[in-house]
Amino acid sequence: MADEEHVVARESDIDDGERLIVDIKGRDVAIFNIDGEYHAYINWCAHQSGPCCEGRRTGTTDASFDRETLEQTLTYSREGEILNCPWHGWEYDIKTGECLSRSGVRLPSFPVQVDEGKIIVSF
Amino acid sequence: MTEQIERPRIIEDETMVDADVHLSISDADLIPYLDEPYKSRMKHSRLGASPRDGWDRSVSGKIEEDTAGVQSPQAIKSALCDEFHVDYPIINTFGLMSRNPEVEWSVALMRAHNDLLLDQFLDVYDEFKGLITLTTQDPAAAAEELDRVGSEKQIVGAYVHNTGPNPPLGDPIYDPIWAAAEDNGLNVAFHGSANGFMYEFPRQNQSLNQFLGVHVLAHPWSHMLTLTSLIVEGVVEKFPGLEFAFLEAGLSWVPYLMFRLNKEYSIRRSEAPLLEKSPEEYIRDQMYFASQPIEEPNEASDLNSIIDVVGADSVLFATDYPHWDFDSPDALDRHLRDAFTPEERTQVLSGNATEFFDLDL
Repeated sequence: MADEEHVVARESDIDDGERLIVDIKGRDVAIFNIDGEYHAYINWCAHQSGPCCEGRRTGTTDASFDRETLEQTLTYSREGEILNCPWHGWEYDIKTGECLSRSGVRLPSFPVQVDEGKIIVSF
Repeated sequence: MTEQIERPRIIEDETMVDADVHLSISDADLIPYLDEPYKSRMKHSRLGASPRDGWDRSVSGKIEEDTAGVQSPQAIKSALCDEFHVDYPIINTFGLMSRNPEVEWSVALMRAHNDLLLDQFLDVYDEFKGLITLTTQDPAAAAEELDRVGSEKQIVGAYVHNTGPNPPLGDPIYDPIWAAAEDNGLNVAFHGSANGFMYEFPRQNQSLNQFLGVHVLAHPWSHMLTLTSLIVEGVVEKFPGLEFAFLEAGLSWVPYLMFRLNKEYSIRRSEAPLLEKSPEEYIRDQMYFASQPIEEPNEASDLNSIIDVVGADSVLFATDYPHWDFDSPDALDRHLRDAFTPEERTQVLSGNATEFFDLDL
């Protein structure tokens, strides 16, 4: 069956850095705006089915280790691009849907397009 | 553990007893229940009931605990019972005063927590059951507290915060508490915490660099200490009518400790001369273990084996609502559905708790 197109909002409804959660055919779907690009995910955490898309948006901390100097360097990056599930804090990269702590885990995503100011999600 | 043949009932249709539901009581909430001079102390002091330890629970603001769901019985009904299909929440106050240095103050806080629990949370719904909070610094006072409120209808057990009490809880100084619990027909649930870590494991609290390490170790270390002490000191033999539950450390620590105790007991039996049988038998006969926080092996079925070793007749379903590492019921139930019979599943979801808390379902 071909995907259906769902007009979920107008571009002006989701400012940069904001999100909108809508019901599409009985499913909670979140649309995020990052730098004018839209990303749509199911609001359903891979961990224990929590409402992950309602969580806080932050950046995240990474580290590198220099084997020669034995120095660890901490970095904080991707501010606004990391979604933290409100139930248990599982982190997801909003641009890719990838879970930061478990390789191979990712939020199911839906194609999003913009047509004449309308945001359209397909599934 | 057997092959599943019958399709399990959906979780909504199961009776669910949640062994570990916490209140979140503020200092101000306690003022009406305190007598002077403690009432005024609470009003005016910045110390309050729960001095903090400096650790950041929020992961730099990534997670935030929402305690709105436990501010009233109606809120618990809606946020936990309706949302997660819990029929019987076993409510404890999460009182942490057993780690505190001031004995009289801790005893006053214990009584205030119990009066608040009885006054505000247990007389709206028959299904809501409570655990008496006990503090351990003055065992005679704890025993008196069991006699004072132990016969209240909605009280189904005692709650002891076991990260911080010193000496460990099998020490003979605590025997009056266990005697009073047995006399009142109330079993004892131990609950560890990271909040007591700075007292129980001060060197590690000072030297671990992340809260992750503190929190991972706080609960199992506390339970290993308590369980070992109860066995080696012979508490399980002194009070054969008393059973113990261990909340908030999951299950996988149990097989290791149980088998290690067996081994050492046979080598050093004369140091535990009260015991009449192996540590494993006492543990299986008199102890229960709450599922939350259910461990997450990369191969999920590995946990089925752990549950099987601990025993479907020894595991209590628990959510730990509303804390940040709580478990949605399905986190345990997916294992029960996957690898256990419907009877074993029912045992874990309600049967064991019915026995341990002597519930009339």
